[in-house]
Amino acid sequence: MAALPRRIIKETQRLMQEPVPGISAVPSENNARYFHVIVTGPEDSPFEGGLFKLELFLPEDYPMSAPKVRFITKIYHPNIDRLGRICLDILKDKWSPALQIRTVLLSIQALLSAPNPDDPLANDVAELWKVNESEAIRNAKEWTRRYAMDN
Amino acid sequence: MEQFESLLTCCVCLDRYRNPKLLPCQHSFCMEPCMDGLVDYVRRQVKCPECRAEHRIPYQGVQGFPTNVTLQRFLELHAQIAGELPDPTAGQVMERCNVCSEKAYCAPCAHCDKKVCEDCKSAHMEVLRREIARINNQIRRGVNRLQDILAVVERNTANLQTNCGAVAGEIDEIHKRLAKALKDRTDFLRTEVDRYLATELRNLTHLKDNLELELSNIQSNCDLADKYMNDDVDWEDTELVDTKEIFLKTVEFLRNFDYEAGDYNRRVRFIMTHDPNQLVMHVASYGELNITNPNAYSAGLQQSQGLTRSKSDHRLATQFRQQEEAKGYMENDEPILGGRKFGERRPPPPEKHTRDYSATDDYSGYESEHRPSRRFRSRFVRSHQQDNDSDTEQSTRTVKSEHKEKEKEKVADTEDATRGPLSGIFRLSDCPRVIQRILDVDSGKKKEKKEPPPPPKPVQPTPQPQRRPPPVRQQSEDDEISRLKRQNKGAASSQEPERLPSRPVEEERPAVNRKPPTPAREASSEGESDEESVGSLQRNQRKSSVQTQKPTATRRPSASDTSSTHRPAARATSTESSASTESSGSAVKHTGAILSIAELKAKYSIDGPSPKPISRILSAGNERSAPVTTNGTVSGAQRVQSRFVGSQRPTPAPAPAEPAPEDSDTSSEEETDSSEESEEEPVTQRKPESQAMARSDIGPLLARSTNARNDAHDNKSKETPAQTRYRTRQSSQTEEEPSPRYGASSSSYSSRYGSKPKDEELTSSLDDESKYPTARSRYLALKERRNRLARSKSSHTGFGAGDDDDQDEPVSPTTASPSAYLAARYGSGTGGSELSRSRSSHALKSRESSPERPVTGEKDGAALSSWARYLKNKYGSRGKDRDTSGTSSSSSRRLSLGLPLRSANELASSDDDSKNAAGSPISPTAATAAVAGFAAAGSSPRSQYLQKRRLQFSVGSRGSEPGCFTWPRGIAVGPENIMVVADSSNHRVQVFDSNGIFIKEFGQYGSGEGEFDCLAGVAVNRIGQYIIADRYNHRIQVFDPAGRFLRSFGSQGTGDGKFNYPWGITTDALGFIYVCDKENHRVQVFQSDGTFVGKFGSFGSKLGQLEHPHYIAVSSTNRVLVSDSNNHRIQVFDVNGRVLSSFGEEGSEDGQFKFPRGVAVDDQGYIVVADSGNNRIQIFHPDGTFLRAFGSWGCGDGEFKGLEGIAVMSGGNIIVCDRENHRVQVF
Repeated sequence: MAALPRRIIKETQRLMQEPVPGISAVPSENNARYFHVIVTGPEDSPFEGGLFKLELFLPEDYPMSAPKVRFITKIYHPNIDRLGRICLDILKDKWSPALQIRTVLLSIQALLSAPNPDDPLANDVAELWKVNESEAIRNAKEWTRRYAMDN
Repeated sequence: MEQFESLLTCCVCLDRYRNPKLLPCQHSFCMEPCMDGLVDYVRRQVKCPECRAEHRIPYQGVQGFPTNVTLQRFLELHAQIAGELPDPTAGQVMERCNVCSEKAYCAPCAHCDKKVCEDCKSAHMEVLRREIARINNQIRRGVNRLQDILAVVERNTANLQTNCGAVAGEIDEIHKRLAKALKDRTDFLRTEVDRYLATELRNLTHLKDNLELELSNIQSNCDLADKYMNDDVDWEDTELVDTKEIFLKTVEFLRNFDYEAGDYNRRVRFIMTHDPNQLVMHVASYGELNITNPNAYSAGLQQSQGLTRSKSDHRLATQFRQQEEAKGYMENDEPILGGRKFGERRPPPPEKHTRDYSATDDYSGYESEHRPSRRFRSRFVRSHQQDNDSDTEQSTRTVKSEHKEKEKEKVADTEDATRGPLSGIFRLSDCPRVIQRILDVDSGKKKEKKEPPPPPKPVQPTPQPQRRPPPVRQQSEDDEISRLKRQNKGAASSQEPERLPSRPVEEERPAVNRKPPTPAREASSEGESDEESVGSLQRNQRKSSVQTQKPTATRRPSASDTSSTHRPAARATSTESSASTESSGSAVKHTGAILSIAELKAKYSIDGPSPKPISRILSAGNERSAPVTTNGTVSGAQRVQSRFVGSQRPTPAPAPAEPAPEDSDTSSEEETDSSEESEEEPVTQRKPESQAMARSDIGPLLARSTNARNDAHDNKSKETPAQTRYRTRQSSQTEEEPSPRYGASSSSYSSRYGSKPKDEELTSSLDDESKYPTARSRYLALKERRNRLARSKSSHTGFGAGDDDDQDEPVSPTTASPSAYLAARYGSGTGGSELSRSRSSHALKSRESSPERPVTGEKDGAALSSWARYLKNKYGSRGKDRDTSGTSSSSSRRLSLGLPLRSANELASSDDDSKNAAGSPISPTAATAAVAGFAAAGSSPRSQYLQKRRLQFSVGSRGSEPGCFTWPRGIAVGPENIMVVADSSNHRVQVFDSNGIFIKEFGQYGSGEGEFDCLAGVAVNRIGQYIIADRYNHRIQVFDPAGRFLRSFGSQGTGDGKFNYPWGITTDALGFIYVCDKENHRVQVFQSDGTFVGKFGSFGSKLGQLEHPHYIAVSSTNRVLVSDSNNHRIQVFDVNGRVLSSFGEEGSEDGQFKFPRGVAVDDQGYIVVADSGNNRIQIFHPDGTFLRAFGSWGCGDGEFKGLEGIAVMSGGNIIVCDRENHRVQVF
């Protein structure tokens, strides 16, 4: 394996030195491209109080291509499916090399506070979110309590 | 400041901007790799990471975007303010790393000689560090050897002193005694003479007195008688009577008195009891110093003690000193740091090109011829640099050496002092660079890593030249030379400016080290034109020949000044030396040197005790350096040569000796072990060159021997390398030879070649010796096997006799060796279960049909398939192998079988034997070769192959008439060395006799029985049946020896027994048919009746996988060789399809392949490969190590265009299908 690009090293260092509030990203011990991420549920959102685990992987051609991010903790969210995959434009076609791990995670956090049922990934969740938002939010809170708070 | 910083940071790489390019959207990014990575090549646009704006890429690419000059200024300003060091990679252009092929700022890596990125480089450095640590451990473990030797040397010094003291005392004693004896005797003789003189003198005086008295008396008497005897006086009668009486008496006295002159005439003569000359000689040579050498073989190697030991050490030390002097430290540099100063970069590529020129072993002939002149310069010119400014032309060669010269002079300037006199290893801590590093570390100014401990480099045998691509031989035309010269000059001069910017960190140092050559130096180095170097060489030669008179002269007095009787005595002591001088030095002599040291050394390392004269010469050399150096100069070339060869290919020494039995006899696990080892080896080995070592398939052995070798090379004073050298020299000899154009200039050159045959003799004898144990172990195995066979043997033959006598019967001792070999192999068997299975089943069968029950035997025999008949033949004949060793048993067997007893005329019957024997496809050479068995034959095929290169004849041209070919492909050797050729696009098989005379053809286009569609492989089995791979019909056809169709099997498909373009085909001793199922990437095995037996291989490039296997061969040891064409290697399987080893990779160097096709193996296991893509034939040792290669592209003799099948005749002739030339060539 080729050595780690400087950019990844720098980003990792910076993440360690100046962690983003509510987000922690720790590289795996045996693979510096693999990060264990924990995102706290944003305030004033149904996910408040939850600790959501994610995994983040920097592909070979990072930063020219987007990191792969996935929720490990189950979450009730119209843009996140049951496998934890995230529907977020900057992780797909809107990726820009100017973005960083930090910005990506911040975007994900923002996604939690502002679900976008119009661009759904989990269709049932999105449907409910659109039809009966309050119940959806209740569900989300319930899931959060059940899956994101115990540990 | 923070913000300022962030403004200077590229948002893509998060690093300081490097060469910032401004996009039209006003965002800037580094050109490389950031902007580069943003490029959408399809749409030819770049999308700004910041604002996602899309911009067309200018015509010139991203470079076309304007550089953000403002930003750059800011960067500079910031750097100034912050006092940062300039970016080391500034101004560099990114390149693809040659290792990980990432784009990065690459710098040449000394480890792999490529331009690699920082990461790979640091990885390499890590590897180096680890290896240094490892080797250092080895050194630490091995250094006690030196200490032991040192202790021994010290002890020997003491011993020597006491010994010599004692001897000197003895000599003094003897001298005293001799002197006393001589003096006593002399005194005695003197007194004797004096006494004698006195007595004689006295006697004479007395006589004289008497005579005088008598005379006077008589005189007076006479007078008186005259006067008075007359009448005047009256005499009485009595008186007269008395007077008369007196007178009568006087007369009588006078008459009788005779002076016995003899008595007084005696002369004293001094007579020596011994011949005085001899006596003098005896005295002069009244003693010899006899220096005994207790052990003939290990002269000075291990056991020798006392005088011998010290002498040999001394001798070696002297030699090394000579070497050093002779070469002016230059040759020694080469193996150590390649002539570089410690820590220096390797010379840049253009120079490397010239380095190659010299460093390749192919050119070692030239090298050694050329070196003396350089040495001459280094010692002579250097001191006369100033007045040597009249430079004429330069030649390529001298240009090259000029480079070296410069570096070497530096080496000599700085690192000379502490250089180890034996190994040329210098103390690292004395190198300025190392000092610097250590200082850095100590002072902590830089966080430079400490330079690793002792140098692995000198210790490591560096078969450097091996790896270098064989350079295209330069024509020695003047323009060529001058062109190269200019090139080199340019390279040399442009080297500095190039380097300075590229490695600013090292700026100070190179500036110091690489200070431009002073005019004087330049002059001196430029003053070495071709002519001059030759001239100097000749001068040198002349000088040496003059000076070498000295040693002769010094030796003479003892021999010639004394009388001839002395000579034998002197001779007697030196018989050995003179004998060896005469034998080995006959060619050497005319160079003017007495003997080349190398010659002597080699001689005595083998011949044992080195007699005194040598040491006398050498010690004379010690006292006066002049004769020695000259001696060294002449022989220098040779010694250097041999050392050079030895060091570059260290492995072959152990390889032929040990692995031969090992990898064929031992279990397959061991084999895979060793092959694994050899795979790992290149990785762990510091230099890729050592792949050559690894290639030799001696894995664990290698490690050990590397260690040993390291030591050996370390002090360069052991005989083992000498042996190695000599062994290896033979192998490289043929490559050295073709440089006759240099021959004229130097006689040392010719001397080298003059002495060559001798070397070869030595080599072969060595080989024999080393082979011997092998042969013996084989013999043992054979014996074991025989015992095992003994039970069933008689039944086998009874069987055979009952059934088809004629085939079984005539197997004579001459056929024994390969099959005995086979038997032995089976006995200790990598053979595998299949074979043993068939054998045991056969044994069962044969037990059934034992002689007691001949009827059943016959019945069984009748019931046997032709396949079983093979088995029987095989074993029958194997049973008869016993004939070689035990004729008595065979005869008894014969008796018991009622067969005619033929003990004496067995050889006579080998005519029809050869038919049968040659019928065996795998042992075609059985009948003619190997009469003496393996021990004797061991070295012969090798040297035979070494000589191979000349075309014997070729057969055919394009056409469809008999004797013509259209794309011949497979080829095989049948009974009586007939050549069977698959004339592929004529869809027929043609058969020729061993001289290339057309015998017959069969087959035509079609898909029916006996018809072909572009057949490829052919094979002939033991009973002369033709087995043809009918390629486009995807089947195998079998024909009887007359060419009549017998059967066919197979069809297109991927299942068992189906084919996709079957190509090469062969059979083994047991008649199994092996087919290269090319497009199915596998090998299928069938019984001779076409029954599917097994398959192995699958698509891929891993070990055991195949990609387009083309041809296949089975050795007499049942190793299945497959030309794994698209993987550019030969894989070796056992008969069960387990991989044993593999050798070769893509490339055009020795031992590498490009789409190898035909593969053949002779009965000794030597492997011949038609290296199709390289248009050459390569020959390998049985263990897969490279032996030699020949051939090139073209349509002339010995040239090829697309090789196909290859086969080896019993006489060792190699026949090969030269496809595009539509012919078969025989070598």
